[in-house]
Amino acid sequence: MIRVDSVRKQFGTVQALAGVSFSASDGKTTALLGPNGAGKTTLLRLLVGLLQRDHGSISIDGLDPASDPIQARKTIGFLTDQFGLYERLTTREHLIYFGELNDMGPQEIGQRICDVVALLAMDDIIDRRTKGFSQGQRVKVALARTLLHRPRHLLLDEPTRGLDVMSTRALRRTLATLREDGCCIIMATHVMQEVSHLCDDVIVIAKGQTVAQGSPAELCERTGIASLEDAFVSLVGSDEGISA
Amino acid sequence: MSAKFLVVTRKELREALRDRRALGVLLLMVVLYPLILWFALHKMIDISTKAEHENIKIVVIGAPQVPTLLNLLQQKNVKVTTRSDMTDAEITELLRQHDYVGVVKISDKFTDNYVAMRPARIELWFDSASDLQSKLRRVESVLHGYNNTVAGARLLAHGVSPAVLAPIQLQYYDTATNASRSVQFIGALLGMFFVTTFIFCMNTAMDTTAGERERRSLEVLLAQPVRPFALISGKWLATAALAVVGLALELTVAHFILKWMPLEEIGMSWRVSLPMLFGMIACAIPLCLFAAAFEIALAMNAKTFKEAQTMMSFAILLPMLPAIIVPMLDLNTATWMYAFPVLSNQTLLMEVAKGQAVGVLPYLLTVCSSLLAAGLAVGFASWRLHSEKYVLGV
Repeated sequence: MIRVDSVRKQFGTVQALAGVSFSASDGKTTALLGPNGAGKTTLLRLLVGLLQRDHGSISIDGLDPASDPIQARKTIGFLTDQFGLYERLTTREHLIYFGELNDMGPQEIGQRICDVVALLAMDDIIDRRTKGFSQGQRVKVALARTLLHRPRHLLLDEPTRGLDVMSTRALRRTLATLREDGCCIIMATHVMQEVSHLCDDVIVIAKGQTVAQGSPAELCERTGIASLEDAFVSLVGSDEGISA
Repeated sequence: MSAKFLVVTRKELREALRDRRALGVLLLMVVLYPLILWFALHKMIDISTKAEHENIKIVVIGAPQVPTLLNLLQQKNVKVTTRSDMTDAEITELLRQHDYVGVVKISDKFTDNYVAMRPARIELWFDSASDLQSKLRRVESVLHGYNNTVAGARLLAHGVSPAVLAPIQLQYYDTATNASRSVQFIGALLGMFFVTTFIFCMNTAMDTTAGERERRSLEVLLAQPVRPFALISGKWLATAALAVVGLALELTVAHFILKWMPLEEIGMSWRVSLPMLFGMIACAIPLCLFAAAFEIALAMNAKTFKEAQTMMSFAILLPMLPAIIVPMLDLNTATWMYAFPVLSNQTLLMEVAKGQAVGVLPYLLTVCSSLLAAGLAVGFASWRLHSEKYVLGV
């Protein structure tokens, strides 16, 4: 369960977040929608305690990432929009490294590696060095590393970017499984189709503020527009954000 | 939690050991530097021994006129090649080869003048651009000796003691020893041993910081439940470990080279035993820690590997400066020298190599100054990694 209440963040003269409030519940996938520069990445970084908020409160299962980032991060799986890998390490070594960083024992790591390999269908790349991996393979490794320590909360920044149809489907299945397990998933995305397929809840952010929160159907209803994309544009207030 | 930095260290080491290029550079430096040292010393020894033992070669033109002079030259170990005649151009060409020290040309009228007791001319041709000047001086002294001998004999024939020719007796005392002449040079050479530490760490320091940023893996790493200090110290120890291995190998290779060379010839000594060598390496571990910390603190500010390389090539000059400048100043060893990393290790090595008893304080200062500097650099790097400004840039 993640609760964010009137969070503000300023960088110099730029107001990146100007009062964001929402809650994402366990067992649900929450989409974070917003035009480029709306503050999604800043928000995710605040959630993992990489940045400090100026105002407001954040609670991740009761933990404040600002005051106790280490404990909060243990419950979080964070998939950034960059899938940087160490190209001289194999996939398995990547997973062991991040497992150890998350205080997992060798047995647990071994078991979880088997799990994620099966989940993401990555037997073919598990013992290969990651140099020269395709975008899809890179995302898989990044995702496996995110899921390895069984995080209760998943923060995903455009997880399907660069994935082919098969991988996208595999990812969707994975997310569905995790949701059933009771994970709280927050997913920043630009793909409306994904939002309507996958997400139970949608948070719309524009210019650093929460504009709306509700299920996709509720958003359409509230704006009186049938298509989610049009509803989103109407909520954001202009199409300027999309083209920016 | 306490072992998190070890997790990072293990991973960074594993990665570094798979980096063929970096390892290649490391091995090259390990071998290259002692080889350069060997070559430089070999050359010095060669020069200093040559001057004493090797024959001095000259050409004498018109030799039949001066049999006494030829005898004198032979007594003084000067090898004489006689020629009937040579043009000026031929002489110049011959001297340019730097094989012969000089050409002694006896003029055709020598015998006439000699018999008539007029000054008989002997020409000495030499090339002042050659490095045979000291040998030339020996030829000159033989010629002066010849001059005095003839003069003495003539005076004696007139019943005058040859002692009138020597109103004063000049005796030369040169206080410079080979050791004092070579000490600056060798000091700088030994200092370079420790400067290579900064080269040993460079690749790993850059790869684990700027490289991580360039690969876009730093943000994920920062979002793990690990404190920045653990991340930095993990990377730091991995980097330093490579430097320690590199330096230990380099010093060992150099040790055997120095042990095997006839350093006494140039007034230097390498009175270092194996246990002392290990002590030296142990004393250099804090330096490795400092070098690694210093470079990590710098390289982490670069966004790409390339940028870090540019930054490093300048930064690496900084620790080199005292190691190069101070020996040039030709100062006596003082305690303050042990308070600066690199310089302290260099001074310590020189003192130990000379066989001096240095006491505990220099060792203590050497270790502590590097450790303190390393601590500051790691502290700065951890603080920087923690700062928002840095996180925003990743």
